Amino acid sequence: MRKHLLAALTGAALLVGTTLTAQAQDALERVMAAGTLKVGTETAFAPFDFIDAGKHTGLNTDIYAEIGKDMGVEIEWITLDWTGVLPGLEAGRFDVVAGPATITKERMQRYRFSSPIAEATVALLVGADSAVAAPSDIAGKPVGSGTGTAQLAQLQAYGATLDPAPTEYREYVSFNESYADLAAGRIEAVANSLPNIAFVASQRPEVFKVVTPAFGTPTYFGFPGRIEPEFSSLMDKIDEILLAMKADGRMAVLQEKWFGTTFDMPDYVTDPSI
Amino acid sequence: MTWSLFQLLLQASLMTIFVSAISICAGLAIAVVLSALRMSGNRLAYAGAGLFISFFRGVPLLVQLLLIFNLLPVIGITLPSLATAIIGLSLCTAAYQAENLRGGFEGVPIGLIESAEMAGFSRMQAFVYIRTPIALRLTFPALVNEAILILKSSSLVSVVGLVELTKMAQNLSASTYQPLPIFASAGLIYLVINLIVALAARRAEAALPGLPAK
Amino acid sequence: MSFDFAVILAKGPQILAGLGVTILIWVVGTALAVALGFVVATARRFGGPLVNAVLAVPVEVLRGTPFLVQIFLLYFGGPYIGLRLDPVTAGLLGLSVYGAAYYSEIFRAGYQSVPPGHVEAAECVGLSRGQTILFILLPEMALLVLPPSLNMSVILLKDTALLSLITVPEMTMTVSAIGSQQYAFVESIVVLALVYWGLVELANWLGRFTERKISKLSVT
Repeated sequence: MRKHLLAALTGAALLVGTTLTAQAQDALERVMAAGTLKVGTETAFAPFDFIDAGKHTGLNTDIYAEIGKDMGVEIEWITLDWTGVLPGLEAGRFDVVAGPATITKERMQRYRFSSPIAEATVALLVGADSAVAAPSDIAGKPVGSGTGTAQLAQLQAYGATLDPAPTEYREYVSFNESYADLAAGRIEAVANSLPNIAFVASQRPEVFKVVTPAFGTPTYFGFPGRIEPEFSSLMDKIDEILLAMKADGRMAVLQEKWFGTTFDMPDYVTDPSI
Repeated sequence: MTWSLFQLLLQASLMTIFVSAISICAGLAIAVVLSALRMSGNRLAYAGAGLFISFFRGVPLLVQLLLIFNLLPVIGITLPSLATAIIGLSLCTAAYQAENLRGGFEGVPIGLIESAEMAGFSRMQAFVYIRTPIALRLTFPALVNEAILILKSSSLVSVVGLVELTKMAQNLSASTYQPLPIFASAGLIYLVINLIVALAARRAEAALPGLPAK
Repeated sequence: MSFDFAVILAKGPQILAGLGVTILIWVVGTALAVALGFVVATARRFGGPLVNAVLAVPVEVLRGTPFLVQIFLLYFGGPYIGLRLDPVTAGLLGLSVYGAAYYSEIFRAGYQSVPPGHVEAAECVGLSRGQTILFILLPEMALLVLPPSLNMSVILLKDTALLSLITVPEMTMTVSAIGSQQYAFVESIVVLALVYWGLVELANWLGRFTERKISKLSVT
């Protein structure tokens, strides 16, 4: 057993080594020299990234196509399970992540987020024939959300204000399982960001519907990138292009295309509400 | 569930078959080497093989894949997704197959090894020509079992970016929100592949020479 | 970039609770799987050709499809046919039925390894069917079935991680939730690797211990 422990410690030490030494070169210079921006993401997060008729598509592919055009580089997609995406970013497998992820205080300690690309405020998805008409109707009923997500935290905070509180908060490894359990009738509602559940309801209107208004505090989706100084030039460049897209209306067109609506967003999220 | 969705699943199953087949064969070769190391009488070789088997059996495959994909780049080895998947699966199955072979090598009658030595075989020759074939024959059913397990575990390689059958099913259910028919179809495809493997194995086993008498 | 185990270890009690669920489901699920697998193998050995053929179907279907698919269909598909199980029940049921298919094959190979003459001899001296199984067949096959049984229990341990899919609060679920809350993915993976490795080594040790005991018995 002792030699195993030793091996494990060596492995851990190696991991620490990774994070300390990887890539001291300026990231923007490296990307421009290579002529390729590598973007990591998962493909089970509609409408941001998903597989339609066998092809990777969604809002993210459209936005990064614009970023690639403005930077004059090719976009190379590396698609992994979400479990592998952020470790891949830290190991230098790719330059930035699509995702996107809700911008929170805790996560900003560890990653640099791009200028927001969509609203992430939490609302409820319920069955098409559900009696839940307003968010407060989940009082006394079982509800669910993704485990470890900002959306779950918001659902729990909101549930605590209700009397009676929801009977149970079920946690799912991904939102796709929570939709399956909602359809199976084990839970009354799923809490997730408005853009995601609006897309779910538009794909399966006979099974699901969205309960408005959103109940969470306003939050936003951004692309996570590395926080180290050598990456700031690259993240600044991406921000610059995203802000230009918002100013000249390209972003509004894409939001209309994928969400059927547009969002008002701040240029930067410096002090997230959660 | 439409025909076009089912076709996508079928296409993805080719990746499942491809990585599994290569990994089973490579894993078997590594397992034989590991067995040789364990029986070599060299303490260091014995301990090294033991640690290898312990690690690759003990740590979940998902974690192994993530380590190969994200840790090796630190020491300058950046493997693409396909290579990562095949190496990860091969090393993992090698550890299990070495454990299976352990029983097989123990089952080789001592008399056979002694008579091989009397006939002038070196230890190495006896290992390659006598003990290994008999051990493989003895553990053939376990090898088939392991092949089927690997076909199914290959679903984990999606964590390093390969789209095989399970990942395609997850992708399709995440965009159509109809997981039940899609997962049922994926299950059916796995079943057909595995039944073919099992049938082929049964025929192969019948064609193989019988076991030596005890 | 920090490599921060403190964020994970700060949630020690939560992780221990998850570890408890993992061990509980593993031990109970494996015990049920061994028992059910033994019953199936025995029925196939002594029940005649019809029973043998009928039981072969579920065994092949369960072995031929991934556990992930089975558990998904059982938990999310079950309610459509009136089978509404809670996560832990569904997980235990799924794991033991899946494992039973494999254990039944292990025991089948065990039964085949015992020379028919031994069974006939036992019957000649007047042992009942049950006594023959208990006193002749089981001891004779014990050494052969032990290593693959141990292998299978290790596989089942790792398969318990898939139960996170159906919201069973086991260890993988708990640790990855902490990891994604804090965005400490790498750390959570390393913690999971070490804990599973420890559990597998424990199982190996128990298996070798039993193996030694049995081989001593069979010599005397």
